[in-house]
Amino acid sequence: MIQIKNVSKWYGEFQVLRDVNEEVKQGQTVVVCGPSGSGKSTLLRCINGLEPFQRGEIIVDGVSVSDPATNLYRLRTEIGMVFQRFELYPHMTALQNITLAPMKVRKKSRREAEDHAMKLLERVGIPEKAHEHPANLSGGQQQRVAIARSLAMEPKIMMFDEPTSALDPEMIKEVLDVMVNLSTGGMTMIVVTHEMGFAREVAEEIIFMDEGSIIERGTDISFFKNPTSPRTKDFLDKILI
Amino acid sequence: MDLAVIPRNLHFLLGGLVLTLELAAISLLGGFLLGILMGLGRLSSRKWIYYPATLYVNFFRSLPLILVIFWFYFMVPIIIGRPLGDFLSAIIAFIAFEAAYFAEIVRAGVQSIPQGQVMAGYSTGLGYYETMRNIVLPQALKNMVPPIVTQCVIIFQDTSLAYVIGLKEFLRRIYLVDSRELRSVELYLFAGFVYLVFCSIGTITSRRLEKRQIGR
Repeated sequence: MIQIKNVSKWYGEFQVLRDVNEEVKQGQTVVVCGPSGSGKSTLLRCINGLEPFQRGEIIVDGVSVSDPATNLYRLRTEIGMVFQRFELYPHMTALQNITLAPMKVRKKSRREAEDHAMKLLERVGIPEKAHEHPANLSGGQQQRVAIARSLAMEPKIMMFDEPTSALDPEMIKEVLDVMVNLSTGGMTMIVVTHEMGFAREVAEEIIFMDEGSIIERGTDISFFKNPTSPRTKDFLDKILI
Repeated sequence: MDLAVIPRNLHFLLGGLVLTLELAAISLLGGFLLGILMGLGRLSSRKWIYYPATLYVNFFRSLPLILVIFWFYFMVPIIIGRPLGDFLSAIIAFIAFEAAYFAEIVRAGVQSIPQGQVMAGYSTGLGYYETMRNIVLPQALKNMVPPIVTQCVIIFQDTSLAYVIGLKEFLRRIYLVDSRELRSVELYLFAGFVYLVFCSIGTITSRRLEKRQIGR
């Protein structure tokens, strides 16, 4: 579903991604972890073309992201993205947040878009908040609306960029539950997170990034028990406590 | 003091005030629309959009308004081959000039919206235009309200400069009545009072809008 081949990216002189290789198969959930500044978020933004990269190739569902002939707007409708700070549109209700893109991009009627949005809000467990503005929702509720907003485009892939890092501890679970459901439901997912419980439960692969490269990868819990590099061990010690 | 001079000429003076308000309203609308385009141009990553927009804004912001009014009055007829008339040429000068200031207001307003909002829009497949129109500009507009109202007040005062091309706006008519009636003190006090009233309406509106914003 996603092939990342020898991708390198620079911000001016500074190299943020170094020769990154990764493959995500349909239905897989891949967890990306690593210290801040290691290039995890940048990698996600390269996958849906929000940021360019200078070398290598990323192929999403058979389409090359960096090919100038690729319609990035079309490609992005296939890839949902969830952000650390939710990025809900504050001037719209939860329902309007969800229906905007389906109406503007997919040209759905308001009726059709709202029916679908209500189903999604039920799926993330907060149909009663449909007409609230984001400011009146808790962090966990906002993030669930943001997930529903991404799902409204019926993407083939979902990317999560530290979806629980800005949340209070008691709200993390409600968001993770939604994500676990998505993953077990067969969604192809790339999740940047330090929630190792989540990784243990659903990840088919866990990769560890540092200074722009993938320095460790594992398929399951073995990754936690015997990290091969001292850098990984150091990091895991910190986040697992 | 002989305040009777004002009711005696009220009809003539109010005609000027209407003209002033028309000039201000049209300049405001046109300047704002052109200002949105120029402001977004200033934020463009495409050089062939960015540089012309930046040149435009810096050019008009470095000129005194009175010079711009003169230019359009004297130069446009040379270019298009016929005179435009004082009102139309004043309108064009004001729109061109005020657009440069609105462009900077729009630019600052758009920049006040976090980049994540744009990314959120793009990540759902929305294009540049849809993202600006539905996500960024509605939020940016709220932040722009106070400087826009300030600019409206400035435009309203600036319209008096149109007297240089003989446009009979409010202040020009005060001058004309004065040269006939020789009642400078009363007339200019009255003019000041009228400007004060209209500008205060603007300032109060601005404060109301700001408060309503905070209340949200």
